Amino acid sequence: MHQMKKTLTILIALMLTMAAGAQTLSITTASGTTSYSAADLTSSTPVSFSNGTTMTIGSDNYTIGDITSSAVGDIKDNEVHILYNGTSAAVLMASNVTDYVTATISGAHVTIAQSNTEAVDGDELTYVLSGTTSDGSFTLDGTYKCTVSLNGLTMTNPNGGAINITNSKRIQLSAKKNTTNTLTDGSGSQKACIYSKGQLQLQGNGVLNVAGNYKHAIKSASYIEIKNLTLNITSAVGDGINCEEYLQMKSGTVTISGVGDDGIQCDLGGTTATGETTDHEDEDTGNIYLEGGDLTIHVTADAVKAVKAEGDIRATGTNVTATTSGGGLWDADELKTKSSSCMSADANMLISGGTLLLTSTGAGGKGINADGNFVATGGNLTIKTSGNAVVASSSGTLSVVSSSQQLDRYDSDYKSSPKGIKVDGTITISDDAVISVTTSGAGGEGIESKTSITFNGGQTYVSSSDDGINASYNTTTNGSGDLIVNGGYIYCISSGNDAMDSNGNFYVKGGLVYAIGCGGAEKSLDANTEQQKKLYISGGTLITVGDLESGASITGGTCKYTSSWSKNSWFALYNGGTLEAAFKTPATGSNTGGGGGPWGGGSSSLKLIVYTSSTPTLTSGVTVSGGTDYFGGTLNIGGTVSGGSNVTLSNYTSSGGGGGRW
Amino acid sequence: MRGLILFLMMVVGTLSMQATDYPYLTFELSDGSKASVSVTPDVALTFNGNTLTIGTKSFTLTNLSKMYFSAQDETVTGISTLQDTDSDEIVAIYDLQGHQVSKDQMHHGIYLIKTNKGTSKVCIK
Repeated sequence: MHQMKKTLTILIALMLTMAAGAQTLSITTASGTTSYSAADLTSSTPVSFSNGTTMTIGSDNYTIGDITSSAVGDIKDNEVHILYNGTSAAVLMASNVTDYVTATISGAHVTIAQSNTEAVDGDELTYVLSGTTSDGSFTLDGTYKCTVSLNGLTMTNPNGGAINITNSKRIQLSAKKNTTNTLTDGSGSQKACIYSKGQLQLQGNGVLNVAGNYKHAIKSASYIEIKNLTLNITSAVGDGINCEEYLQMKSGTVTISGVGDDGIQCDLGGTTATGETTDHEDEDTGNIYLEGGDLTIHVTADAVKAVKAEGDIRATGTNVTATTSGGGLWDADELKTKSSSCMSADANMLISGGTLLLTSTGAGGKGINADGNFVATGGNLTIKTSGNAVVASSSGTLSVVSSSQQLDRYDSDYKSSPKGIKVDGTITISDDAVISVTTSGAGGEGIESKTSITFNGGQTYVSSSDDGINASYNTTTNGSGDLIVNGGYIYCISSGNDAMDSNGNFYVKGGLVYAIGCGGAEKSLDANTEQQKKLYISGGTLITVGDLESGASITGGTCKYTSSWSKNSWFALYNGGTLEAAFKTPATGSNTGGGGGPWGGGSSSLKLIVYTSSTPTLTSGVTVSGGTDYFGGTLNIGGTVSGGSNVTLSNYTSSGGGGGRW
Repeated sequence: MRGLILFLMMVVGTLSMQATDYPYLTFELSDGSKASVSVTPDVALTFNGNTLTIGTKSFTLTNLSKMYFSAQDETVTGISTLQDTDSDEIVAIYDLQGHQVSKDQMHHGIYLIKTNKGTSKVCIK
């Protein structure tokens, strides 16, 4: 019985794989396409020719001059094969769909009108495109969903789009396994090299190369989903991929370069967002979902985005490598200075998975720019910006500044600073998020919110040329400007300003904060005492190089400091006899001859400050083994220390008065 | 169960025959000669003036009488007999796969005979 079941399974599988392929001859004229089964055209019932002008098949007579296409091959039910060859094309059509498909062929330009309004024999139609043409195209109209399968197609249309689908239903555009397909368009009026009016599902295990020489490379007037496909967008005058409603990358490998505008842009289709729906049914959000696969985007134009969403960007699993190298741009309509971003969301930026490596080298360039909130609960995010700030004159003439101090005299719309993460809404970092931000240009802030920032967990590393982490507010967001640390590991170093700067209140309630300001008037932890705000330290573990905001409230533990220490030596921080952490400092105390550089600077009172819930003690020159290294080996948790010598610590008392500049 | 398996085997057999029955399109000219063209993978038939082209093969339409699907390559040229006197002059014999063969190895099929006078195509029936 078991053997019988096995045999039955094999037979059914065989049937499914063999289903209904048959040799067929298709003849297309202006009247339509007629397909003939090979079984009906054998030597006993052949196609006959007469005088070289007439062809007879059964009772059908064809004037040969009227034939616009004929092809022969093995075709399955519901399939239409388009064979491109140089400047001509031929259509092979399964006999069960000839009543629903009208093919018009002009040279290698094929236009299909599909008339079915429901499935044919229980399935949708599939168009299989193959061959090579240097002057061809494929246009498809209809009112029912279908599949366009690319089976080794190299197509260039010098005078328009390569694939133009005006059918507004769901279209699966698939590259067949083990095939490479290359589509190139030319000048015309098309919206893209590949255009679909309807939902576009890009899939298949093959390779699809696209070059958009007039506008976008790929455009859908509806959503786009990407699965399995290896998609290389090699050039575009406009965006690499442009769509509406939403974009979902489930898997595959997408590489975008050589584009004149954004790498990927997703807009809202209508005027009101639906919010995310179950299985994205009828969704119109402008969201971009990065759920899996590998996405690599390099954009070079001024003020463009590698990934731009009118809604959210939700990164849950895709490995993203994005670079921008363009500089700033003066927007004369909005009277605003704009710059490039690796990821830009008009709503929220959410990260819970995947590895994101974002690099911006142009003036004012940013890693992430979101108008809404930023929430990171997982994933591994690395951002590097190296451009300087860009400013505009009253007439909109741009220039690049080399010093952060020059920025103070420009209104916000007339400058754009490089920033790792710039968010108008709140920033919340928690759970397993691993974030690393490095900025090196003038005005380069690490992480900035115009509302508030909360750390509940995760690991956050910031090395910046301006404020490292800055919670702010403005009249638009009306935020608190608070900076709150409840948990997580934070390492923040600034070479030119405050390490962590709150324009509201600054709360340290938990976690481990290791902050290094640039010294002098700039703080390691800064709150807005000028506006009667305050730094509250009530829990967690604190290590800072540089002073705390004056008038700080320090409760729930003890704060001590030393002004004499050496950099690059391991320190062990104990909390009442229990090893809390081991750390190294990049700076040297002023009493240890630490002049020069951004830290110390020869000024009088650079401090190494520690706070723990009990009484902190420090041992210097220890040897560390085991444990877990964080922040490039600057911090070690859970390790074992040996040797070293005790550091004399003084009680830290926060004085009154104001802090440094914002 | 046994009956179902038998039925499915018949269906599979039928489908299998349908899928592989006619891998050639054979063209018959008015002089009786035939030429078969493989139609796997798909191939276009192009009509241009008095010429029908399929793949790399072209036919003069006014010389064409029939076209049909066939299970085998039915190519037959006008040369069908190899004279004894010619065979003495044979330099080499090749099959359609380009392999050199001896006279004794010539079975049914088409061969290229290279002699001192030139090259001929022969069909051994």
